[in-house]
Amino acid sequence: MLKSIVQRGKIALGVVCALAMLGSVGACSSSAPQGASGSSDNKKILVIPKYTGLKYFDVSGDGAKEEGKKLGLDVQYIGTQDATANAQIQTITNAIAQKPAAMVVSAIDENAVTPILKKAQSQGIKVVTYDADADSSARTVFVNQLSYELAARTMLDSALKNDPNGGLVAFISASPSATNHRKHVEWMKKLIDSDAKYSKLKYVDTVQYSQDDATKSEEISRNLMQAHPDLKFIISSSVPTTAAAANAIENAGKQGQVYAPGFSMPSSMSHFVEDGTIKAFCLWDPAQLGAVSVAVADQLVQGKITGKKGEKVKVDGIGEFTIGDKGELNVDKPLTFTKDNISQYKF
Amino acid sequence: MKSFIRRYQWQEVLIGLLVIAVFIGTQLSPYFLNYLNLANSSVTFVPTALMGLGLFPIVVLGEIDISLTSTLAVSAVLYARCWEAGMPVVEGALISLAVAVVMGVVNGVLVAVAKLPSMAVTLGTMGAYRGAAYLIAGDAGINGIEGGYASLGSTWVGYIPVPVLVFAIVAFVIWVIMAKTNYGQYCYAIGNQAPAVKSAGISITFVKIVAYVLGAVTAWLAGVVWAGQYASARGDNADGTIMLVLTIVVLGGVSIFGGSGLTSGVVLAVALLFVVQSAMSLANVPGTTQTLISGLILLIAIVLPNLSRLKELIVKKPTTK
Amino acid sequence: MSSDKGNASNKSFGQQLSARARSAMKSQGAGVIVFLLLIIVFFSIFAPHFMSMQNVKNILFSAAVLAIAAVGESLVLLTGNYDLSVGSIVGIVAFISYDVCSKAPGLGYIVVIFGLVFGILLGAFNGFLVGYLKIPSMVATLGTLSVYRGLDSLYAGSREVTKNQIPHWVNVFAPSTFLGIPSYVWICLILCVVASFFLFYRPSGRMLYAYGSNPKAAESFGLKSPRIIFGAYTLSGLLAGFVGILMGAQVGTINSVMGNGYEMEVIAAAVIGGVSLWGGVGTPAGAMLGALVYACLDNGLILIGVNEYFRLIFQGVAVIAAVGVDAFIRMQSARFSTRHAILEVQA
Repeated sequence: MLKSIVQRGKIALGVVCALAMLGSVGACSSSAPQGASGSSDNKKILVIPKYTGLKYFDVSGDGAKEEGKKLGLDVQYIGTQDATANAQIQTITNAIAQKPAAMVVSAIDENAVTPILKKAQSQGIKVVTYDADADSSARTVFVNQLSYELAARTMLDSALKNDPNGGLVAFISASPSATNHRKHVEWMKKLIDSDAKYSKLKYVDTVQYSQDDATKSEEISRNLMQAHPDLKFIISSSVPTTAAAANAIENAGKQGQVYAPGFSMPSSMSHFVEDGTIKAFCLWDPAQLGAVSVAVADQLVQGKITGKKGEKVKVDGIGEFTIGDKGELNVDKPLTFTKDNISQYKF
Repeated sequence: MKSFIRRYQWQEVLIGLLVIAVFIGTQLSPYFLNYLNLANSSVTFVPTALMGLGLFPIVVLGEIDISLTSTLAVSAVLYARCWEAGMPVVEGALISLAVAVVMGVVNGVLVAVAKLPSMAVTLGTMGAYRGAAYLIAGDAGINGIEGGYASLGSTWVGYIPVPVLVFAIVAFVIWVIMAKTNYGQYCYAIGNQAPAVKSAGISITFVKIVAYVLGAVTAWLAGVVWAGQYASARGDNADGTIMLVLTIVVLGGVSIFGGSGLTSGVVLAVALLFVVQSAMSLANVPGTTQTLISGLILLIAIVLPNLSRLKELIVKKPTTK
Repeated sequence: MSSDKGNASNKSFGQQLSARARSAMKSQGAGVIVFLLLIIVFFSIFAPHFMSMQNVKNILFSAAVLAIAAVGESLVLLTGNYDLSVGSIVGIVAFISYDVCSKAPGLGYIVVIFGLVFGILLGAFNGFLVGYLKIPSMVATLGTLSVYRGLDSLYAGSREVTKNQIPHWVNVFAPSTFLGIPSYVWICLILCVVASFFLFYRPSGRMLYAYGSNPKAAESFGLKSPRIIFGAYTLSGLLAGFVGILMGAQVGTINSVMGNGYEMEVIAAAVIGGVSLWGGVGTPAGAMLGALVYACLDNGLILIGVNEYFRLIFQGVAVIAAVGVDAFIRMQSARFSTRHAILEVQA
């Protein structure tokens, strides 16, 4: 009886493998049949964040929609709250089906979204990435809030603002697949090693990952403070993590000894700035980022720019930008928040 | 005829819901009834659906496996590493398949031989395998996969995407195994804890181990499709999607206690979830509403059949002490 | 056979129940304690300052919140059911309680009560589904997991609850210590004592054990299973709501994804603590220790400086090892009590 089970199992597996291989070999065409491509006098632009429900992204979406209204476009902010690559790709797939003129995407996984973005491009949809890039072949322009070097410098500068005497730095990123975070950390390490301005800083080599989860971030921060008694700065590019780290500092009673000067939203951090736990932290204006991205996408659709190096992009009310290598456009308007200016910002 | 209707009761409910969903989909978005669109978006659903098919026999046995998503990740990154090393497709596929089988055997042995509760075992292996996937993938993962390695995930046969074909084939195979072989009968019997099983001399251990291996193999296939479709693989692939896989099985009418459930139910559940999700996505329904609706569908689907008990309760109350 | 029944009715039901409870406690308390000692020894050797006063307090603080949730979950597990909605209850209670209670100054004082009541309601709904509608628990709580999370997202939109909205007294209380031990730990200990008292000395508590270890026998004794299950879920909801309030204060910034995936950690902690997934075996103290093991692993691995990936592997292996040890011990004590039962029958 056992033999028959084994036999049947083997047959089943054999069938699967054979058919699978047949499928791959016998594929008649190597890519999907093309639907009606091209976007005509199309005013539709779809903005797709990594996932919705995170205040940072939703604010960028609001900025994008505002700019869309100014330019007379139909800008929609879409997506699911599922923070996985699979979910974002499903959103993008369904976005392509709606035949927009352009898509503005913050890639949750730079590699996984590349094939689907390339498909979008092949159907005449202009692809612009913002906040988090995909592969440069899959999009025309990447609107980067801060060049990676500037991002690193801004965070390190804000660290020194908290304590000019410098000290030990520990890094927390969202996840290994967050390209921008990884690049920020690379740059920060490089600058601390080589730039005289940051000579008073040292760093812990191992990077911790928080998955953008506030509870995890708080616990990691407390554990880091235990692991390194002389820790001075907990630096994170992740917005929820920096706020949680600030709270951890208060939970551990280490106000004035440890600081969390990384990227975060003024609304989350205002309490800590007011009671002096954090003297300075930084970010940029997410709404502004969204607005610039939409403006760039619109100009691409209208053919005013093509994404080549050296092209100038003018966005009314914000400024003029130049496209750099590999289609990267740096907005480069960092904001450092302190007690003096934090009340000006409403996000 | 009556027994036919009763046997497929759940499927009928699902088909009804499916029809309603399709209707709502057409009302919500003009892009819905477009074959190419649906075909394109179905491709991203396939890995999860494959895992659902793999989980099905395990649940029928009365066990569970929540480590399937981690097995997918290990398979995908290992497969991708083989591509990176320049190995021929068949070799890469076989190596990753072998590792997946080992992972299934580990689960199976812990559950069937050591007799540990499957929820705990697969909770443990879910984490352990995930860690292994990260270690194999490294921080950056592997990307740029193309050619033969990507064929199962990204090519089409005429107007049908290969992943969908793979799903159809696997669904057929699972149906054959569960409905037409002795092995399938043993699964149902063990799930029902029929005393006849022991006396018939069937090795429960063997049946369970095979089920876990089967599950791991579908997760491997899902990983191969994933790597091909996304042209990349990372340690966090499919992380956190096990609840959706469980939803597919539960929505498919498979009793979590084991002993019942049909392949057709699982397939219909996949279709229903796919249609609902596509309809909402094409209509750009806000993310918060999508989350709520997915939850409500599951809740309604599981409460509806049991509402008759509510009547029992209300009627019974005055007579009970 | 008839003499058997005679013996059974000679001992009062209560005595039988407490004997069972006592043996349950004895048979699985050992496993997690051994486990904990092993981990402590390991990290004391390899991690600097692991056993320092500061670090111990740190670990206890991290463990406290998870422990409370694990105690709640163990009540449900004892009846042979699952509560997968814990994470969603924690998230929605945290967000809505703090948000609502920040709308008017006086409300800040009742935020805890608000959270507890809210938790009770959510838990009661679970109890209703599983106990009265007889929906399998894994299925029912899978559904409520999504629905509660969905309601949370709908309510929250993209807003966050920031530290400013958390009442001042909560902010003062959360990091405070009493006699050198964090207040959160005191709360956890008190809750554990209360839960143990309830389970071992109150009839309704002992009924939980009796029902869990043998549902059919318990029902033939006249125990009303719907009520027991309903009660277990309501209490679990109460504790989960409490955890929401505590976690919100611990973290400072609350968004709608807080608690995502938490149920897995909670179940893992309970399982490591010797709570059997088949019902009827396990203690609140065990669940608490399981959470402690979890927190030690987290902390120790960061102190050593090990890659995050290894933490996943270690925790996964820990769960399996804990269950293995637990099964082994139960097998031994089953042999022991089988001999006793045989002796009783012969007497």
